[in-house]
Amino acid sequence: MGAEVTQVSAFTAVLAHALCLAGLAAAHSLAGRGALLSDPAHALRLLVVCEAPLVIVVFSLLRRDPKRCSFLKAAARGLLGLPIGAFLNAFGAIVLGAPVGIKYWIATTYWSCLMSLFTFVPAACVFGASKVDWQNVLSHSIYGTSSNVADYMISAPSHGAVIGAWLGAWPMPLDWERPWQSGDTNALVCLMLSRVLNAAVGTSLYYHPHFSMHSIFN
Amino acid sequence: MGAAVAEWTVAAVLLQVAGLSLFLYGFFPVKPTLPGFSGAESYRAPSCGPVGCGEGPALPPDQLRSLYRELSEVPHVYDRLVLMVIDGLPAEFVLGRGGKPPAREMMESMPYTQSLLAGCRAVGYHAKAAPPTVTMPRLKAMVSGAIGGFLDVALNFNTQAFLDDNILDQLHTIGYKLVMLGDETWIKLFPTLFYRQDGVSSFYVKDTVEVDFNVSRHLESELAAKDWDALILHYLGLDHVGHIGGRQSNLMTPKLKEMDDVIRRIHAAVTSIQDNSHRTLLVVVSDHGMTEVGNHGGSSYEETDSLALFIGHSVESSHCSPYDQKEALQVDLAPTLALLFGIPIPKNNIGVLLPELFNSLADDQKLRTLELNSWQILRLLQKQRPAFCSEDCVDSKDDFGADMLPESTEKKLCRLLSKAFASHRSSLLHRDSNFRSVEAAGLFGAAVDSYSGFLRHASEWLSHRATDKPLYLLASAISLMIISCFSLAGIISCIFKGPPQIKVEHHSELDLDKNWHLDEVFILMGIFLYVASLGSSSFVEEEQYIWHFLTSTLYLIFLIKTVQSILKESNSTLVHRSETKTFHKNNSSYLASYKLIPGQQDGCKLYTVLIVLVAGRILRAWYQGGINWVHFPDISKILNQSDSSIVKSLQTISVLAVVVLYSVSLMLLRTRRILIIGLWLSHLSCGLLVMLHIWKSQVDTSVPINNHSTTSIAQIFYVIASISVTCTFLLSPWIFPTHSKEAEPTSSSGSNPEKAHGLNHSVFLTGVTYTMFWCLLQLLLQQPINAVPVLLILLQIISSVIYFSLEKSLHRQWVQVVAMQFLGMTGHFGLGNTNSLASIDVAGAFIGISSYSTVLSGVLMFIITYGSPLLLYLGMVVHMSVKDSNDISTPQQWSSVLSRMIALPCLLPLLVNSIALTSYTIVLLLMRNHLFVWSVFSPKYLYVCAATVCTYAGVLVIAMTGAYTCAVLSFRTRNYRDKSVDQIDG
Repeated sequence: MGAEVTQVSAFTAVLAHALCLAGLAAAHSLAGRGALLSDPAHALRLLVVCEAPLVIVVFSLLRRDPKRCSFLKAAARGLLGLPIGAFLNAFGAIVLGAPVGIKYWIATTYWSCLMSLFTFVPAACVFGASKVDWQNVLSHSIYGTSSNVADYMISAPSHGAVIGAWLGAWPMPLDWERPWQSGDTNALVCLMLSRVLNAAVGTSLYYHPHFSMHSIFN
Repeated sequence: MGAAVAEWTVAAVLLQVAGLSLFLYGFFPVKPTLPGFSGAESYRAPSCGPVGCGEGPALPPDQLRSLYRELSEVPHVYDRLVLMVIDGLPAEFVLGRGGKPPAREMMESMPYTQSLLAGCRAVGYHAKAAPPTVTMPRLKAMVSGAIGGFLDVALNFNTQAFLDDNILDQLHTIGYKLVMLGDETWIKLFPTLFYRQDGVSSFYVKDTVEVDFNVSRHLESELAAKDWDALILHYLGLDHVGHIGGRQSNLMTPKLKEMDDVIRRIHAAVTSIQDNSHRTLLVVVSDHGMTEVGNHGGSSYEETDSLALFIGHSVESSHCSPYDQKEALQVDLAPTLALLFGIPIPKNNIGVLLPELFNSLADDQKLRTLELNSWQILRLLQKQRPAFCSEDCVDSKDDFGADMLPESTEKKLCRLLSKAFASHRSSLLHRDSNFRSVEAAGLFGAAVDSYSGFLRHASEWLSHRATDKPLYLLASAISLMIISCFSLAGIISCIFKGPPQIKVEHHSELDLDKNWHLDEVFILMGIFLYVASLGSSSFVEEEQYIWHFLTSTLYLIFLIKTVQSILKESNSTLVHRSETKTFHKNNSSYLASYKLIPGQQDGCKLYTVLIVLVAGRILRAWYQGGINWVHFPDISKILNQSDSSIVKSLQTISVLAVVVLYSVSLMLLRTRRILIIGLWLSHLSCGLLVMLHIWKSQVDTSVPINNHSTTSIAQIFYVIASISVTCTFLLSPWIFPTHSKEAEPTSSSGSNPEKAHGLNHSVFLTGVTYTMFWCLLQLLLQQPINAVPVLLILLQIISSVIYFSLEKSLHRQWVQVVAMQFLGMTGHFGLGNTNSLASIDVAGAFIGISSYSTVLSGVLMFIITYGSPLLLYLGMVVHMSVKDSNDISTPQQWSSVLSRMIALPCLLPLLVNSIALTSYTIVLLLMRNHLFVWSVFSPKYLYVCAATVCTYAGVLVIAMTGAYTCAVLSFRTRNYRDKSVDQIDG
């Protein structure tokens, strides 16, 4: 990365995430309490619609090479990145066991769009097609070695979101008959949790409150 | 080094086998039982000689009934039986605890029953149930008087029907007509016994009303009907109430009232028709109790405190104290009912008759019932301990003086028994002399006392033998397994730390440094998570999800790492281009020997991982549910309901695909030797045979008897396949050249790649042949629906092998081996296996077997069930061959080549399996009082044991193939060198 690359200050990074979080919280409150469990497709749609412009705008403003790349170009990169990232996330989710079927595909689409907004779109806006930066995002070795705030800003939350979604996909065969147990809603809860935790703390360690190993016997 | 590793490994495995067998012996005791059913011989004194053919000609029921009644010398006390089972009712609710009557609200909720007890018209016992306190084993204990072990269940896994001697079958043989209403467990146990039946399922625990209504709605008509002789009612509602709300549930009082009302109705009905030919006994029993919160399964007082309440004319007396703590065993029901109804006591009964039920009999008749019970128990004792057979046990001299001496249990029992027989005889003499006196009464009392003493002690001794788990034995078994596990881990760490010729990682230019990588950390974490999940019954029931999750996550990590490495490579193309080129040129393994330009290679890597992931997802969709979620819709259910031609075409496609894949992999060898052609032809013919078998068996479904042709097809397949595989194993090291003609024999550097070449070629040929023939065998044996999953697993193996051969440097070898093993376990569940014994495909175990043979069909069953893990072990042979083996420092050291090739593929599966086995053994020991120990944990333990056997088999194949190939090649190299040296000398 050359000298022309703008360094993002830690404060800006925190502010950006706070903005995104605020959007998320607003959308969540708009959808209503418990909507994520009762009507996931609707709630997810609302979240995506509220979050997408916010994320694209905020991270396009923080693009890495503002001199050579206009704001509009960065936003276009983000828009392009949204379906690509959604596709990749959907693939991951389905491989890990998300249900495939006509009645699930709407929820899956919105879910993967939202995941894409958390993982792929910020990186697309900020980095564009720079291979080195993408490699850094994929790698976990940046922790402790990189001094670039932007790397942390992009990597840590997206790693967190992926790990959170992964934890949410953990199979739950317990026969407790609770509503949160049904697969994808569980993933969502974890996803939200991971998002909140990671954006705030920038770490990928979490505790999943429902993840206890003992079973209750009927 | 290699030899030491091998010795240590064998020692560790032997230790593990020893520990496992000790644990099995301790945890699942197989007590000797008497086969068959009691007959007329049970009314004669037991003798220990060779048991003559006691089976006389089968008599018609009426004659048998009169024969029994004549031989028994005791009139039967009742004619009809109403057995009312209230699931989960603690005796405390009816009889109180510790000599005190039950709580006031309990008394008030069962007014009629309490009035019967208070009026001395009923007698109740705290009938202690043996753990596991779950319904089916308890019902078995009640009707047979025996406490069975788990292996009894496991060994007749293909039927749930109860085959041991029991009072219901005995009643049936003397012509009783039985009617059963309630829990369908009875119908599972006795599928053909009942004259009329209406089973209800206990599946919906939430339902507390319908289950009981479905029983009670028949009461009116059944009580009016006179055509039955024994009526069994099994009410599940109370158990469900307990499961929902525990003992203090507010549903409990209404439920008890309902039960009390049923008792009142039955009692009213049976007393209204009381005459001499319809004397009816009403028995109210519960199969087990419940804890405060309503669970059961363990061995606490609350759970084992079950009720046995008898209402009938023989228990009526003028005065009684109904709330005294009268202790009995649940198994006492069997001999009591048998003697009351004049049938032989079931052979393996360990119960003791309840004397209060026989109050209506004369003294000598009472003694006779005790004698019959003692004879039966003595027979059982003789079977378990031959010491009871000796004459001086029963007919010992009257040495009543030596009472106080401490003695062995056997001696004590012998003494009690001989005393009982002696006082019985003298009591009879007194009766014959018609001299009724105080002395006779005294003798009678002494005889009763000594009989009861003997029976009580013998029963206790026998029941302890059935349920006691020798903890020190189990602990030592587990410590053996732990030692074995640690020594395997130690051997592996030695190999990692060992001299570099074992741990050669030449192309570490990318990032194979000392750091831990994501995939390695994940594997360790995954194994830990898996082990932790074994502690939960729900996770054990749905284990397939864990495996699928772990495997697909691992391959997703591979995918990410691959993308990362591609990105990195393209970033630093300029630096590395030349290096990569030489790297590819040097590569002599097969799949990589295709000249791929780097771009293609990257694409290939991505596609292989994607194939594994997608195939894994389809495999999971093929069978969705394990034990609890078995009702989930999945592809196999859709296919089962669809037209059979679709399934047939899928099978055909799979067979064709396997044949084509084998041809392609043989073409990779680029030789046209006669063996290769022969192998190809034999594989083709095997494929055709499998197709023929598929076609024939589809045609023959209408005529299932005429299956000679399919049997012979399968037999021909077995012969051809085994000959081909054996020939390949024996011959493949001989056919590939060890040295190229041009190479200088003396120059070691020139001959190195060639040697590796020969080794790789022959191992590759052997491995591919194993794999492909195994696939055809699976396609032959598995259910038709499983054809595509077998193909998918094969695709996963091939893709993984290609991926690992392309990406040698990205993942350490142990990661590759464990990834293959994960694939095997995922595939195991992908083929529809679960952790319940019910999912074993018994039908497939008889393909190609013309006469019944337990061993052969057992082997076939094992092959079917463990098809996927074994396939992966065979695939591991292929994987060994495509490993890069250019880097042999000194050509003479075949042993180091061997140990480098097979050390990890052999040791890692052993270690992973050992971890699973050891931790699950500990889990089982901790869960020994768990509710689901017999239904969930123990079947899973059998699977874990079978998986251990499967691992041994797979590792043996890997080791044998590697060792044999290396031995032959080293022999040939030495020969060649000697010859060339001779030539030079000459």
